[in-house]
Amino acid sequence: MKQLLDSDLELVVESNFIYLPLLFDPGIEKEIQSIFRPGKQIEYSAQPDLKTIIKHKGKYFVKALNLHSLFENYEAINSYDYRRLRNDCLLKYQLTGEVNGIFLDETLKIILFQVMPHFIKKNRGLTRKKLIDEEILDLINKKIDIPIIYYKNAETFQDFEPLKEILESLENETPIFKPPGNGILTGRKLRDWFHDAVQAKVLKSEHHRIAKALKVRKQFSQAKPEHIAILLYIAATGAIEIDGFGFTRNNSYKGEYFVYKRTKEYALTDYCARSYLFPECRVAVSTYSPFRPFVMEKYKHPFLLDHKSRQEICMKDFVPSNELLPKISLEL
Amino acid sequence: MSDTDLKKELQMDEAEKLLPLVLEILPGHAAEGLIDIYEPGSYTAKSLRKLCDKTLNKKNLSIEEQLIVEDIKRQLDGGKLLSRGQEIEGTALEYAVSEQTEAGEKYLYVPIRAIRPQEGGIGLILFDYGDEQ
Repeated sequence: MKQLLDSDLELVVESNFIYLPLLFDPGIEKEIQSIFRPGKQIEYSAQPDLKTIIKHKGKYFVKALNLHSLFENYEAINSYDYRRLRNDCLLKYQLTGEVNGIFLDETLKIILFQVMPHFIKKNRGLTRKKLIDEEILDLINKKIDIPIIYYKNAETFQDFEPLKEILESLENETPIFKPPGNGILTGRKLRDWFHDAVQAKVLKSEHHRIAKALKVRKQFSQAKPEHIAILLYIAATGAIEIDGFGFTRNNSYKGEYFVYKRTKEYALTDYCARSYLFPECRVAVSTYSPFRPFVMEKYKHPFLLDHKSRQEICMKDFVPSNELLPKISLEL
Repeated sequence: MSDTDLKKELQMDEAEKLLPLVLEILPGHAAEGLIDIYEPGSYTAKSLRKLCDKTLNKKNLSIEEQLIVEDIKRQLDGGKLLSRGQEIEGTALEYAVSEQTEAGEKYLYVPIRAIRPQEGGIGLILFDYGDEQ
């Protein structure tokens, strides 16, 4: 079917059915001539209005697929393509779970506005001033090279009119796509219509997500686009790093992060005053308890048992707290 | 070193002593710390440790500064004051570097880190090989 929809083959859509060009060989020609003989009653299918074979501009077409059925069952017929179309649709309107989640992510807020300011240089010269959340986002914008695409996505995000219209259509139960209409069209044109229809179906199924997204967007409508771009960048990449301090999404637990600080190269001396140089590494604390510091890289050190990544640092009688914020700031 | 070079160095030393001293005590791995400024002449006869104590015992601190002092004291509970990868001994000038403000005013800067040693494994001394700032 994919080949059919990707082709320039002329198809006919009639009463919600796709008609394909009839193969032509002497046997078929003979049958056709008998069907279309003047005075002969044409054989109808179960549905009285639908002919099995139709003639359009001198060409014969045979009934093949029910467009409605194809559309309704596409998720089962071609789940891979359906998922792709769904993702494209959600991305187009910035509706992915990551985007919606990031604006309401309380853990991320703690990391960005309470933990990170402790570890990055916020002020120039000798000024020491506590920054408000907007100023911290300005600082991140200065320190991180955010690709231009996220600024464009921020514009899409802040323009909530298209979503508002979709939501209104859904709530008024007005169809959000038009059927293709009867007549001849190419495979590619049918494909374009089909994709639009599937995306409309996706939007319909995401009614609640759209309503929630719209609420968030109205809330952030006055935010600076560059601030939105930062959050979209974090939603997409799950990580940022500034001045050796950073965080990265913990893919094992939704909404959780590893917050880390890079050590520089350092040396340890033993009791004979011999120095041992150690390479830099990232010491992290997960926002998912227990809040025990560990080394992210494969690393060897007297405080680590093995030579592998993600080893907890031996900390004698250390008892991790149940609170996220002070633990990250103090232990890193 | 020639006499001329020596004379120049001495002149520079003298000039440096006329600069204000900016002391910054940073708790743990924080990027910014508690800042204190000493006028020229007010710090030369004192050890860096004494200057740190004076800074940490300052009154009339803002709420942010008070929080930083709390952090520093928490680190110093079993911890040390380190500057340029060493425990602080001697005078501030031994650790100072010359810097200037955006307006071009020169000053001497000494970053000091209050670090609590790692409480695990065996006792080792840790030296930071990177820049303090």
